[in-house]
Amino acid sequence: MRKILFLLALSMFLVGCTAATNDKKKLTIAVIPKGTTHEFWKSIHAGSNKAAEELKAQGTEIEVIWKGPLREDDREQQIQVVEGFAAQGVSGIVLAPLDNRALVRPVSDAKRAGVPTVIIDSGLESDEFVSFVATDNRKGGSLAADRMGQLLNGKGKVLVLRYAEGSASTTERESGFIDQIKAKFPEIELVSTDQYAGATRDTAKRAAENLLNRFGDEVQGIFTPNESSTAGMLLALQDIGKAGKVSFVGFDVSQTFIDAMNAGQLHGIVVQNPFNMGYLGVKTMVENLLGRSVEKKIDTGVMLVTKENMESPDVKTLLHPPLDQYLK
Amino acid sequence: MIAEAKPNRTFFNPSLLQNWLNRVGPALGLLLVIGIFTLLMDTPSRFLSPNNLRIVLSQTVIVAIGAIGMTMIIISGGIDLAVGSTIALTGVVTALGINAGMSPSLALALGIAVGGLVGIINGFVVTRLKVVPFIATLGMLGIGRGVAKWLANQQTVNMPGTWLNELLVMFPNPAWLLVAPGVWITIVLAVVAAIVLRRTVFGRRVFALGSNEAAARACGIATDRLKIWIYGLAGLLFGLAGVMQMSRLRQGDPTVAAGSELDIIAAVVIGGGSLNGGEGSILGSMIGALIMAFLRNGCQQVGWPNYVQEIIIGAIIVIAVAIDRWRTARAVA
Repeated sequence: MRKILFLLALSMFLVGCTAATNDKKKLTIAVIPKGTTHEFWKSIHAGSNKAAEELKAQGTEIEVIWKGPLREDDREQQIQVVEGFAAQGVSGIVLAPLDNRALVRPVSDAKRAGVPTVIIDSGLESDEFVSFVATDNRKGGSLAADRMGQLLNGKGKVLVLRYAEGSASTTERESGFIDQIKAKFPEIELVSTDQYAGATRDTAKRAAENLLNRFGDEVQGIFTPNESSTAGMLLALQDIGKAGKVSFVGFDVSQTFIDAMNAGQLHGIVVQNPFNMGYLGVKTMVENLLGRSVEKKIDTGVMLVTKENMESPDVKTLLHPPLDQYLK
Repeated sequence: MIAEAKPNRTFFNPSLLQNWLNRVGPALGLLLVIGIFTLLMDTPSRFLSPNNLRIVLSQTVIVAIGAIGMTMIIISGGIDLAVGSTIALTGVVTALGINAGMSPSLALALGIAVGGLVGIINGFVVTRLKVVPFIATLGMLGIGRGVAKWLANQQTVNMPGTWLNELLVMFPNPAWLLVAPGVWITIVLAVVAAIVLRRTVFGRRVFALGSNEAAARACGIATDRLKIWIYGLAGLLFGLAGVMQMSRLRQGDPTVAAGSELDIIAAVVIGGGSLNGGEGSILGSMIGALIMAFLRNGCQQVGWPNYVQEIIIGAIIVIAVAIDRWRTARAVA
């Protein structure tokens, strides 16, 4: 009985919220990242704020709500966040799903409740969303493979430390890398491709240390498919004094990686454009809410950054998105 | 003369044998784990190399320091589920301290002190508010994690490099240290804690409290004050573990170490600690922590997927405790 009363009180509270947000016919867009601690997500946040500012300047009343699970692997928490926003009755959801299946039901429930969803960053095995705004991850992986082939002159042994089970975007990058190596560089041997870094820097560092002890002396190249796995691998390489002695290609960007590239410890990173992803995610959602038709799949761009091209203006804006301007 | 009143010892005293088995049981388990992986490995020399030992020892430090504190708590009949949160919180606090311009030693002291404070609060909730330790620390698990995220502004806290970052490096400077400074700190702490538990009045009281709280109180031990001391001391150790975690990651991460309380409790239990209180040893807990680190390390190098490792660790916990129960039952009979 107590529980029922509690639920009743809770739902009244939620209804209260809904009433408050819908009062002014203002568009409320909930942006739900996979996590909030990686620098990658801060760029998405800034990009979505930029879209909101632009739309406001054009006279659309809009509010962007930013809320995610704190850990990058807590699917249950993210499901609850999606359900919460659907119940609250926001105008639309922009979601980076933690899992390509676990989030299918909440997204379709939201749709049934009249709340459309734009998927960003990572795929969802469903067709009940408005649009998929993301990096072409396969292409990113094959860019990394090309760089690796160039660094190793087409022969040598390479280790791949995967990110986490069930994450669609990184799985695409890994298979993009592996397929391209196999197709284009037959003399490169992949020595380990089945170990996972796990969700955080800490788990990634631990896995990297263990793998480097086993394969460290024989590999000439290493590929890691996202920020936390690249950071963990870099820390492990630095600790054993191997940083700079193996060709290391990573994915995503942070200040640490830029420093490591300058120090010659990291020989290339495939960089996505998260700022653009956040920006286009919100823009696409608003277009859809205003009744205009949108593309089902939108590519936000991906490029290879090396020490050589780091100073070019294009890369500079990509590496240093105007975060401070859009995140107070 | 009083000096002649020594305990009777025969060569094959069964209780002595029992005692000996209790002590070496976990060590045998550790040797078994290392032995099995050595056989499975296609490059055993690399698995047994000094470098791999350095890796495993560095990876064990956080769980081991936590397990020293947890051993005291478990012997006293308590439990602390908030360790993972405390580690995240104190790591964040230390990183913020360095960013605020504190000297590394001051930031280190601050991190440890915050851990102690969390422990004392746990102690007060358990004794003054009469909340059982499981629930009190379950509450603190949420509170500590939340405060860590709040202080860190929901992001990781990056800070400039200091000597704190060198605590867990694989190749220490100076090189004659052989293993990371953090490993030596852990060993010293473990020895001190073992002596305190076995040879001091405080230690005996901890065992008395865990064996029979009512009897301990009847004997004139101020059990409430003792509990606050135990949680507080353990908290200091958890704070140090948090600083070690920060040192490993070179940043304060409010989301780190979720679930590590279970690793730490598992280490104590594999090492012979009893959740009923009154039993447990520091040496055993250290070995328990090493067993888990070697398993993780070995599974990865053999190339087994993560789930295999999770199943094995789960099985080992159950087997370790089952053997322990079986031995106790025989000792009683």
